[in-house]
Amino acid sequence: MHSRHLEVKLRLGFKVFATLTALKIIEYVVGTSINRGAWPYLSMMAVVGAWAILHYFMHIPQLWRRKE
Amino acid sequence: MNMVTSITTDWEDRGAINRVGLWLFILSDSFLFIAIIFTRFYLQGVQRPSELNQLLGFVISVVLLLSSLFAYRGETAAAYGDIRRFRYNILATIGLGSLFLVGVGVEWAEGFRFFPPSTGFGTVFFTLTGFHAFHVFTGILGLLLILLPGQKKRLGEGSYWGVEAMVKYWHFVDVAWVFIFPTLYLVS
Repeated sequence: MHSRHLEVKLRLGFKVFATLTALKIIEYVVGTSINRGAWPYLSMMAVVGAWAILHYFMHIPQLWRRKE
Repeated sequence: MNMVTSITTDWEDRGAINRVGLWLFILSDSFLFIAIIFTRFYLQGVQRPSELNQLLGFVISVVLLLSSLFAYRGETAAAYGDIRRFRYNILATIGLGSLFLVGVGVEWAEGFRFFPPSTGFGTVFFTLTGFHAFHVFTGILGLLLILLPGQKKRLGEGSYWGVEAMVKYWHFVDVAWVFIFPTLYLVS
């Protein structure tokens, strides 16, 4: 049970990483192919990426939750 | 009786208090990054030199993201008392962080040739990447510290604050890069 729980958490980490990498690829394609006005899309993707790291990797909800 | 209860509660809350302290530190540090990012737009608008190696910027971004994954795995393993997995993952994080620094070094060598620090873009580029690289370097030192043999005796559920703090710091460095990469390499 203990190790199964650990495996679930490790898999979640991999899913978050895969999402972040996909975002980074889209960001790169948008940034290199659109010459003007790409910044709103880039900002949006950066905010989503930062949120994913803050939420899943840094566990920011711990601040307002008693126990995770 | 009340005093005893209060002391026990204080002790239990220590982890939560530590966390708040760390988050306040992270918040204050992020203001410096925000200020330098705004300087980029103030000095240069959205202009960037064509010689900027965007592909290298992209590759080192993925390297840093991957290091964050390993840091997360290391922290999770420490929380479950899996010392072997913790050590491997933190070592991988350190390796990838060092690789990131090498990438920044290559980028700096190119930068000195095409947009030296005396130019507007060079000023922002070297300040921002230099400041960030210093954070990565101190992060590596911190991660090495939690790998010290004496530390592993203290690991296990509810007693891995040192690991948690260092890994959170490492993720913060990653969050900063999530904004720095598009600001320097992609916005045009």
